[in-house]
Amino acid sequence: MQIWDLAEYAAWALSALLGIYIVTDWLKTDSRYSEEELTSSREGQLEAITEQHEL
Amino acid sequence: MARYTPPPQSKLGQIFDVIVLLALTVGALYIPLWLGMAGSAQLHDTVDAPSWESLQQNATMVEQWAKLGFADAEAAAPLITARFDYSFSFFALIAVIVTVLGYYTMMLKLSEKEYRDVIAEKFGEE
Amino acid sequence: MSDITRNTPGIAEASEAAPTQNGGLLRVLGPAHIWALGVGIVLVGEYMGWNFAVGKGGAYAALIACWFAGILYSCVAMIDSEVTSTVAAAGGQYTQAKHIIGPLMAFNVGLYLVFAYTMLEAANAITVGFLVETVAGMTGHEGLNPQPFIVLAIMFLAWLNYRGVLATLTFNLVITAFAFTAILILFLATSPLFGESPLKHAELMTGLPYGWLGVLAAMHFGLWFYLGIEGTCQAAEEVRSPSRSLPFGTLAGVMTLAIAATLTWYLCVGLMPWEYLGQSGAPLFDAARMSGSTALTVLLGIGTLFATLASANGCINDASRAWFAMGRDHYLPSWFGAVHPVYRTPYRSIIFLVPIALIFALGAPLDQVITFSILSGLLEYTFMPLNVIMFRRKWPLDTIKRGYEHPFHPVPAIVLLCLCGITFFAVFLGYGTQLVAMIAFYIVVSLWFHFRRYRFVQRAAQFTMPWPKPQGY
Repeated sequence: MQIWDLAEYAAWALSALLGIYIVTDWLKTDSRYSEEELTSSREGQLEAITEQHEL
Repeated sequence: MARYTPPPQSKLGQIFDVIVLLALTVGALYIPLWLGMAGSAQLHDTVDAPSWESLQQNATMVEQWAKLGFADAEAAAPLITARFDYSFSFFALIAVIVTVLGYYTMMLKLSEKEYRDVIAEKFGEE
Repeated sequence: MSDITRNTPGIAEASEAAPTQNGGLLRVLGPAHIWALGVGIVLVGEYMGWNFAVGKGGAYAALIACWFAGILYSCVAMIDSEVTSTVAAAGGQYTQAKHIIGPLMAFNVGLYLVFAYTMLEAANAITVGFLVETVAGMTGHEGLNPQPFIVLAIMFLAWLNYRGVLATLTFNLVITAFAFTAILILFLATSPLFGESPLKHAELMTGLPYGWLGVLAAMHFGLWFYLGIEGTCQAAEEVRSPSRSLPFGTLAGVMTLAIAATLTWYLCVGLMPWEYLGQSGAPLFDAARMSGSTALTVLLGIGTLFATLASANGCINDASRAWFAMGRDHYLPSWFGAVHPVYRTPYRSIIFLVPIALIFALGAPLDQVITFSILSGLLEYTFMPLNVIMFRRKWPLDTIKRGYEHPFHPVPAIVLLCLCGITFFAVFLGYGTQLVAMIAFYIVVSLWFHFRRYRFVQRAAQFTMPWPKPQGY
């Protein structure tokens, strides 16, 4: 059936599109922001605000 | 205790470390495959001219097999006679037990050593 | 901001006290998302894979394995809930191990998580391809190439994960709820409650074909009924109230799965001879086809597709969080510790894991991929009882506040350890070589970490929880 052949091409095309979107956004983000800003997340940072561990 | 300051890692070093990890991962999955040692052995009792009776299938079972698309006993026979081989040698069992226990022991020992450093640096030596 | 001040117990700096979320992940999830993340990853196990337990030991063996695995996972959920309600950070069990046992254990646990989830994701993608192929075959089209659909499934879910966690897990909630409802509907439709039932347990059930050894062997795939529920912990840094939502979502998840697993077993063994069921590729879909109703067949077909997508989706979410957390601590190159400034996702980890999932989804056989995933999970469950015993010893109940305290300690830990031992034996019966290969891999990687990689890691800065000094140090 024709429709399944079309579906195969459509799936390839859509995958490529999503892939291109992710990669371009990744490169754009990396060039627009500094490395310090991007890796500024620290474990336990929010923990200190929201959770109280004292009894 | 003196604070430990790690050396900064170069971009090349970072990439190299990732490649090492990847190579090890792919190796762990594919080496058993390449050596042909992977997978579970299945035995087949070959039955000559199988019939539903000789395969010990009752009327209801035959009906369900038919619904699944197995019209005659011949088609279903390979599925019905397939059996796993659970025989094993005690030597292999002992080897596996030693490996598993050894792995966890090694890991707990080395972790403990590293952990003491962390705690000493974090809370200061008493 | 120096690490020392940040890590001083009980003291929050002024900059931290302000409710800003500079550069970190976003706290947006509620308990329903946690349920969807946990159940979503696992529910695919009811649609495919669990039935190999039937093949390993017969129908009754699968039920016994299902319930014993249920006990195993109840212990996992209780232990995990207690530790996670206290250690709320991305990385879940990895962060727990880092604070409780030590860096090397944490590195291993991080790898267990990434491999268990990435392999499960690959297995799901393979199943999506197989499903599309089957549907094409049913409409009379032979020789469909499943590869574009495998790639599309992975790319689409990676894109969804890249764009933000709230949309990702809301999507998961919808499709998981659909897949679970589909099982309930199939059960009600085939049960004797409404007119004549197609179930024929009396005639189809047989004894144990392998005896009690088969029951032990069935434990291997019994895990598949629940594998991945512990992934709820990965969302700890993105959930609004971790100390309440995580225990609630995880425990509700295990109950949901125990119900779904038992219903699935009941209706499948009532419809198919065990020899077929034990080798079926999509047992619930087969069960729907045998009920003779087109509506049910379509419903369960969609349910199978949704379950695999939900699972792969949750796996991308969890694997990337674990990889990200290790990058943030320099256990892996720090490059991976980046958060997307707009979408607030660990975007580099998500991108990096895409080609790896593709390699295994396109290149490795399904049962190998599943075994790799199960083994990584099993090593992780063996770590949990050690973890909780040390947690209670280093920080007894009266030293830090816990959001949830699991009852009867140390009974769950001991039960869990025994069940893990049995499962190791079950895996040994079929896949002994892989077991040894896996452990050899982890030994080599551990030595590599201890002697090379660990020198790039800061010592005290890893310990981020505002806890007092552990007892005995």
